[in-house]
Amino acid sequence: MTNQQQSPVLSVEGLVKDYPGVRAVDDVSFSIERSTVHCLIGENGAGKSTLIKMLTGALQPTHGTMKVNGSVYQPNNTHEARGHGIATLFQELHVVDELSVLENLTLGMEVSRFGFFIKSDLEDRVIQTLKAIEPSIDPSARVSSLSVAQKQIIEIARAASSGANVIIMDEPTAALSEREVDRLFGVIRRLQETGVTVIYISHKLDEILNLGDTVTVMRDGKHIITKPLSEVSGRAELIELMIGRSAFQTHTPRTKISDEILLKAENLTNDLLKDVSFHIHKGEIVGFYGLVGAGKTEIARALFGADQVAGSISFKGQKVGRSPKHAIEAGIALVPEERRTQGLFTNLTIRENIPVMNLRNLSDYGIFRSADEVAAAIEYVDKLSIATDSIEKHTEKLSGGNQQKVVLAKCLFSDADLLLLDEPTRGVDVGAKTEIYDIIKDLADEGNSVAIFSSELEEVLGICDRIFLLYSGSLEEEFINSPDVDVSHILNVVTGGHEGAVL
Amino acid sequence: MAQFLRNYYIYLVLLVIIVILSLTNLDRFDLFARGNFLYDRNIINILRVSAPLLTLAGAFTLLMVSGYIDLSVGSTMGLSAVIYAMLAINGVPFLAAFGLTMVCGALLGAFNGLLVVKLKITPVIATLITLSLFKGIALLLVQDGVSAIKSIGDIKMPTWFNSYGREGVLMGLPMAFWVAVAVTIILVVAQNRTLLGKYAAATGGNPIAAKLSGIQTGRVVFVLYIIVGVTAALAGIARSSFMSLGDPLSGDGMELNAILIVLIGGTAFSGGEGRVFRSFIGALIIMVLTVGMLTLVPAYFQTLVIGAALLAAAASNHLISRKAAE
Repeated sequence: MTNQQQSPVLSVEGLVKDYPGVRAVDDVSFSIERSTVHCLIGENGAGKSTLIKMLTGALQPTHGTMKVNGSVYQPNNTHEARGHGIATLFQELHVVDELSVLENLTLGMEVSRFGFFIKSDLEDRVIQTLKAIEPSIDPSARVSSLSVAQKQIIEIARAASSGANVIIMDEPTAALSEREVDRLFGVIRRLQETGVTVIYISHKLDEILNLGDTVTVMRDGKHIITKPLSEVSGRAELIELMIGRSAFQTHTPRTKISDEILLKAENLTNDLLKDVSFHIHKGEIVGFYGLVGAGKTEIARALFGADQVAGSISFKGQKVGRSPKHAIEAGIALVPEERRTQGLFTNLTIRENIPVMNLRNLSDYGIFRSADEVAAAIEYVDKLSIATDSIEKHTEKLSGGNQQKVVLAKCLFSDADLLLLDEPTRGVDVGAKTEIYDIIKDLADEGNSVAIFSSELEEVLGICDRIFLLYSGSLEEEFINSPDVDVSHILNVVTGGHEGAVL
Repeated sequence: MAQFLRNYYIYLVLLVIIVILSLTNLDRFDLFARGNFLYDRNIINILRVSAPLLTLAGAFTLLMVSGYIDLSVGSTMGLSAVIYAMLAINGVPFLAAFGLTMVCGALLGAFNGLLVVKLKITPVIATLITLSLFKGIALLLVQDGVSAIKSIGDIKMPTWFNSYGREGVLMGLPMAFWVAVAVTIILVVAQNRTLLGKYAAATGGNPIAAKLSGIQTGRVVFVLYIIVGVTAALAGIARSSFMSLGDPLSGDGMELNAILIVLIGGTAFSGGEGRVFRSFIGALIIMVLTVGMLTLVPAYFQTLVIGAALLAAAASNHLISRKAAE
């Protein structure tokens, strides 16, 4: 027992995770002390998510060991991880709106006899836990009446009352307002008092500095350092640790970009966006860089007419009707963030997917020219080197990179002058990534404009001519890409350090 | 092999059923006297009574491909049958009565479309409401004390009334059957060769992606509801003509038959997949089974046997699809 008290609540030794062609996590060792808030930071692609997935049993390590309270821990799935007291707070909430807070908290844990519920001390225990971490929530309230932030607290309470002693929180403040963030921090501190350990992942460095006890920094799959935050001097030190000294492969902006303005957006404002204004030139590749929740997707969807937004958008000097149909007709196409749920028709073949944004082009009076469809499909499969043995293959069966190319082909077929690419290389292998970048450059050389919305700095620095930095819905800064951009300054801006924060 | 089975499964089922029925000793084939299933008068009779379901099958399939459903088709059919008979008995000539009834069907379909697309009521709920609503109107139109619009005393149905559904015009088959064939051909072409067919598959396959691809999914669904309404009206006319009366309940249970045939034809209940022609074959299977049963087993046993046969068909279809997908 004393041994258990002394050993760290969770430790990893020589942890490695290999994917085909990529080592996502490379020989990582560190330990997490009981009842602390342990922060995990790193750039996108640094290996944080993969590490967390191994801790929660969603992935199994290639090598290395994990220990919980000093004994070896090998979860095969998230359920087994729960059994060891390790719970995760997912970004999507898993609460049942129609039930009360109490019913949600006890869901799946009800004690029953012959199919009837029986009274147990479970409810009291759960109410105790909830009161301890957030007294303002009424256990009898219906969950549908609560805010997103409150629902999140319900999930935390549920994890805590089911005996979790480690709770992993991945970007928990992405959807919260400032006041709600403060309340969440209060909850986390009270959790800590009850002996729970929190692993906290966030891009927002001020949150880390404000809340954490210890920080672990990862970079390129490797463990860089684990140290108490009391020994960290400030944001600048964290940023330096995250990016290291390694320079990024930056793109030298192409010189001959026309001055002709293709799109002009003024004062775009909605639930998330705050007075965003910018313009895009003809033949230019612009990048919108920011972290999760910074407003990238919102800008893309607003330009495409998929979401309502206040402010004005003019394209080729004219106003565009606010619907995807109007946007496509005007010459704007969007490659959405989630290809499987928003971009691709997995029930259809490659041939049927490619022309879908511009079927009118393949038809006379509503009657379809099948031969032209086949020709178009062959042309684009060839042009984008989509790896398939037949255009009649269902897109469901393609790899991620090839699926993304089909979505890209869809947009190209729509004859757009402006392509909006939301996370164009997410979940795409390295080879396909390079190919997609080449396609984008070719498009720009042909005089099309491309806007890339990305949370990968390497991507925007590697391909864009001009870059916009976003933080929490507002456009903080704009600069021309060049080989000597100040990367630590960029990271400082997108992590919220713009308005005279500690540096 | 599994792929072959998946593609031709439904035709094999139809063939097997016909072979079994033909080989069975049909002593009890009282209805059509001669005791052979493949006797021309029997075939003609089956196709004649199948006309309403065959008419409806294609449009219903397209609607389900787009991810929506219309449970009110039986009531639309009943109401159309009543309207058609009323027009006929009041001296409106054939073509005018025919056209006006189709317009009514379009309006009823548009009403469904309005509830689903504009008011955003869940399709099952919306069309359950109109199932009851349309049937209510049809019952109101028939005067007290009688069950249907029909010849009573001096008021007689015109003599042309039942020729549409009964009188052979080509190969011994009536107009109603050929209209069903024509509707099916049009819808097969619509599915494979028109924007509507493409849009329906896209809408049912991934509604979010469809919207982001510039497809006006609401309009697509609305148009499909209208087409279903029109074909339900055509089915009502066929049934009404065949029975020589306008019975408000003549379409009762049609929605179940329609769902069954599209499922037998391999249409996904969740949308995105399904073929018009396969549903047409599915409709033939149901009708052959129904009529075949009439001659083979006692009446009280028939529904159960048909249910069991359909269960077997649907289950093996599912298994084959899963095998082929692997």
